[in-house]
Amino acid sequence: MKSKLRWGSLVLVWALMLGVAAPRTMAQDNASQDQEKTQKEEKPQKEEKPKKKGGFFGGLKAISGSSSEQQEATTTAGSKTVGEGEDIGNAKPSAADRQAVTGMESYSIPQDDLAKFQEEGQLKSNE
Amino acid sequence: MQPIVSRTGIGMLGALTVLALLNPPADVHAQIFDRLKRAAKKADEVQKKLEPMSVEEEREVGREVAAKLVAALHLYKDEALTRYVNMVGDTVAAMSDRQDIEYHFAVLDSDDINAFSAPGGYIFMTKGAVALCEDESELAGVLAHEVGHIAGKHVLKIVERDKALRVGMDESKAHVPGSSYLHKMSQGILIKMIDQGLAPGDEYDADQRGMKYAHAAGYPADGLSRFLTKLDQATEQGGKSFWTRTHPPVSERNTRIQQTIAAQHWEDADRPKLAERFAAETQMLKPKA
Repeated sequence: MKSKLRWGSLVLVWALMLGVAAPRTMAQDNASQDQEKTQKEEKPQKEEKPKKKGGFFGGLKAISGSSSEQQEATTTAGSKTVGEGEDIGNAKPSAADRQAVTGMESYSIPQDDLAKFQEEGQLKSNE
Repeated sequence: MQPIVSRTGIGMLGALTVLALLNPPADVHAQIFDRLKRAAKKADEVQKKLEPMSVEEEREVGREVAAKLVAALHLYKDEALTRYVNMVGDTVAAMSDRQDIEYHFAVLDSDDINAFSAPGGYIFMTKGAVALCEDESELAGVLAHEVGHIAGKHVLKIVERDKALRVGMDESKAHVPGSSYLHKMSQGILIKMIDQGLAPGDEYDADQRGMKYAHAAGYPADGLSRFLTKLDQATEQGGKSFWTRTHPPVSERNTRIQQTIAAQHWEDADRPKLAERFAAETQMLKPKA
């Protein structure tokens, strides 16, 4: 009788613990998901603040504003730059500009001319 | 008196509880599996962005940088000067450690004293920089320094490390010239090169590589050093150059160049500097009397 009672109480306690443990695991999981959601919702608000420039490519921004505005923005952020690279970076190449680059790629010096040039300058070729 | 729950019972209960915790219900299991799947996918994407660029991809990016430089500063369209700069450039580039790409040279129509190299082998010198040279060995020194940047993959390594810049690289139109991906990438490179400057270590490395190529090509190795001294003086007198703003101090660079020449026993100071040929080939840049 005593033994039956012992096993009965054991099973009862185990079942109770199982009942408590599983929903807790689910609850923890849901809680972490909720936390993620809240963080995601908060993120856009944080991003509204002015971004600090930094890192390897800090200073990237949308293509807008005059060069003087860009220069001011860069100076305000404490960078040593003057925004010349940013101005060039914002340039919109035309078809003619792209054609000029293609021309640069296809430009080549005939080997004989190069050899003559090197010989005249007492230079060395890589052959 | 014997306890109602024995020690063995407590042990079993504990073991079963642990098993229950390790074996959650099916929906929790599915959630965990789904998260692991998403994490693996994300890790795969990040890994892809950090992979080295192919030469073709490097060329696409460099082409976009080159197009922006041409759009902003314009090519100096003089056939004789273009030909001469390409001859000198080809001569030093032939000695480069990196021969898996072709090097292309052009002169930009700007009086500022600058030189640029973009990934993929695109090298530019402003006509102001060419005009500052006194002889061909100085021109060769500057071009070789730029070749050194490309051979050392200095800009390329930064791009490869910066995964934020490579966001969008997998989009279908990402590799079309002028795409938002290439625009953002090339803009980032130009800001890094001109406004922020490369790491001092990369500049010293380009100096070392450049002088090695110039020396191997038959020029005196100190051409760059002589150019840098003139550049320092020119900018003190109001000349514009981002080199003095973003590069390590000229004195430090020249010290290192001289140390290398001494350490390598490059006794090449008596090699022709080709001042006369340089003067003849660049006469269009001299102010007309």
